[in-house]
Amino acid sequence: MRIRFWGTRGSFAMSGRNFLRYGGNTTCVELLDNAGGRLVIDLGTGATELAKQLMKTEFGKGKGRLNVLLSHTHLDHIQGLPFFVPFFIPGNRIRILGADPSGATLEATLQNQLAPHYSPLEGLENLAADVTIDSFLPGAALELDGFHVRTLAVPHGNIWTTAFRIAADGHAIAFLSDVEYPQPEQPLPDAIELARDVDLLIHDAMHSDHEYTLRRGWGHSPIATAQRVARAAGAKRLVLFHHSPDATDAAIDAMVADAQRDSSIPVFAAAEGNYLEL
Amino acid sequence: MDITFWGVRGSYPVPGAATVKYGGQTSCVEVRASSGASLIVDAGTGIRGLGQRLARAARGQPQEHHILLSHVHWDHIQGLPFFEPAYIPGTRISVYASLVAADELKPVIGGITRAEFFPMPLESVPAHFEFHEVEPGAAFCIGEFEVMPIALNHPFGAVGYRIIADRTSIAYVSDTAPFDLVLHKRHFLSGLEPLTDEDRAALDKLRADLVAALHGVDTVVYDTHFLPHEYEKFPHYGHSTPDHGLDICKASGVRSLVLYHHAPGHDDDTMDELARRYHEAGVQTGVEVVTAREGLVLTIGRGA
Repeated sequence: MRIRFWGTRGSFAMSGRNFLRYGGNTTCVELLDNAGGRLVIDLGTGATELAKQLMKTEFGKGKGRLNVLLSHTHLDHIQGLPFFVPFFIPGNRIRILGADPSGATLEATLQNQLAPHYSPLEGLENLAADVTIDSFLPGAALELDGFHVRTLAVPHGNIWTTAFRIAADGHAIAFLSDVEYPQPEQPLPDAIELARDVDLLIHDAMHSDHEYTLRRGWGHSPIATAQRVARAAGAKRLVLFHHSPDATDAAIDAMVADAQRDSSIPVFAAAEGNYLEL
Repeated sequence: MDITFWGVRGSYPVPGAATVKYGGQTSCVEVRASSGASLIVDAGTGIRGLGQRLARAARGQPQEHHILLSHVHWDHIQGLPFFEPAYIPGTRISVYASLVAADELKPVIGGITRAEFFPMPLESVPAHFEFHEVEPGAAFCIGEFEVMPIALNHPFGAVGYRIIADRTSIAYVSDTAPFDLVLHKRHFLSGLEPLTDEDRAALDKLRADLVAALHGVDTVVYDTHFLPHEYEKFPHYGHSTPDHGLDICKASGVRSLVLYHHAPGHDDDTMDELARRYHEAGVQTGVEVVTAREGLVLTIGRGA
C-alpha cells in the first residue's frame, strides 16, 4: 500500500513561504494498493491538487472509478469538493461514503454545500460524473475495491467524526484525525483497538502540548495524546497530522524534534506531496 | 484612501511554492480612509489575516466592523468564521449583501456555520452580527464612506461597490462576466444559451449602469479571473479577462485598473507574464494597470 498526503493542514488553508514544506492545503489523503486500486480520505483543498494528478489518468477520459471516505463534513474536510475536476467529466464513477452528521444526512449536507447561493454548481445533480453518496453507520465494515475498512465514531468537540482502519496488501493503517478524547491522558480503548498493530497511525496532533492547555475542548489532540495512542496500540510508525494553521514549517520541525526525543516509535509530521510506502 | 489586498485569488485558496509572490488566499480587500475608518469588502480566506491584524490593534476592546459582500459564493465568505474580531465580546459586525435565494440574509450567511460545517455557529460567537440588504443603485453611508452597490453579471447575482471617501473614490467590481455572450440568471449553465432580445437589453443595461457608476472613479478593482484563451473555453463561468476590465475602464474614463480575483491555476510565473503584458496594454490605452497581490497597499487619490 502506498500513501500520499495531498493536504495535511487543519481548519484553514495556509499559503505563503512559511508553509511550503509541510504544506498549506487542508485534509486529503490518497491510498493506492498494489493492484492500482485507489481510496481517498477527505476532500479538503488538497483534493484540488489530487484532482490535477487524476486528470492525467483514466479520470481525464471519463473512465475513472474512485471511492472517497469522509471523516466528517467540517469545511476543511470538504472545501475541495466543488473544485474536484473528475466530478465534471461524464463517465467517471465516484462514490462518496461517510456517516450522517447529527440532524442531517450526508447527501443533504453536501447538497447544501453546493446550494445555488454558495456555488455556481447549484447542486450535486449538476456534477457530470456518476456520483453516488452513501451514508454508513459508524462501526460498519466496508469493502471498497480491495480495501478493507473498519469505521469508528470518535468525539470531536461537539460532534462525532469517523476514524478508519484500512487494510490492503497485507498492511494496515489507521486514520484518527479530528479527535479529542474526553481525557487526553486516556485515549478511548476503542480508538486504541482500531489502531492495534497498524503499520502506520495517522493521528490528529494539531496542538503542541502547551498549546493544548489553551485549546482544550476545541476537538483536537495534543502531540502527547497521539504518541500515547501509538504506544498503546503498538503502531509501528506515527504520523502527526492536521497541523494548526498557526504552525509554520519551523514550528512543526521543533514539535517533531520534541516528539522524537521521547519516542520509541518512529514519529514524523505529514508533509504535503510526500509518498509513504508500506 | 488606502486599499489593502488580503486575498486576491478566485474560487479556492491555493497554498504552495507556486503562489508565494501573488498569494493564495481568496477575495478580501480592506479600504481605509485617512481618518482611520475602514470597510472590508468580501470575506474570503484573506479575511483571516486581516482579522488577526484588527484584533491585535483592538487589544481586546470591542470594535465596529463593516463587511460588504459582493455575493455569497464560498470563495467570498469562507473566511468569515475565522475572522478573529468575531470572538471579541461586544464587537459589532455589520454585513451588507444583496438578497439571494432566501427571504433573509441571516440564514444564508449564518448557514456557513451550521453544525455540519463548523463547530461554532454564528449566533453563538461573542460578537454581535447585523445583516443589511443592499440594492443596486441605492447608495448609502457607512460613517464617512458613501457606498453604492452596482449590479453585476454573475451566477445567482453579485454586486460591485463604488466607495467614496477622502474626496476620492474606488470601485470593487468582482465577480462579473462581461456583458455580451451570457446573461447570468438563477439557473445552472453547462454552456452558452441563446440570448433573447430581452436578455440582450438586460445585458446592455447592466453594462451601461456599470459604466455610468464608474464614471469619475479613480481606481477600479476588477474581476480578471481568466486569460483570453481560458475565457473562450469557459464564457459561462461568470468571470472576465483583463481585456474586459480595460474595455470597461475606457468606456467610463477610469485611468487606473487593478487586476483581481486571479484564477487558482495561475502560478507566479503566469501572473508575472500577465502583469507585464497588461501593464503594457494599459500604457497603450492610457490606463495604469496594476496586478493585485496579497499584501499590496495602494494609496488612492494622493494629493486630491
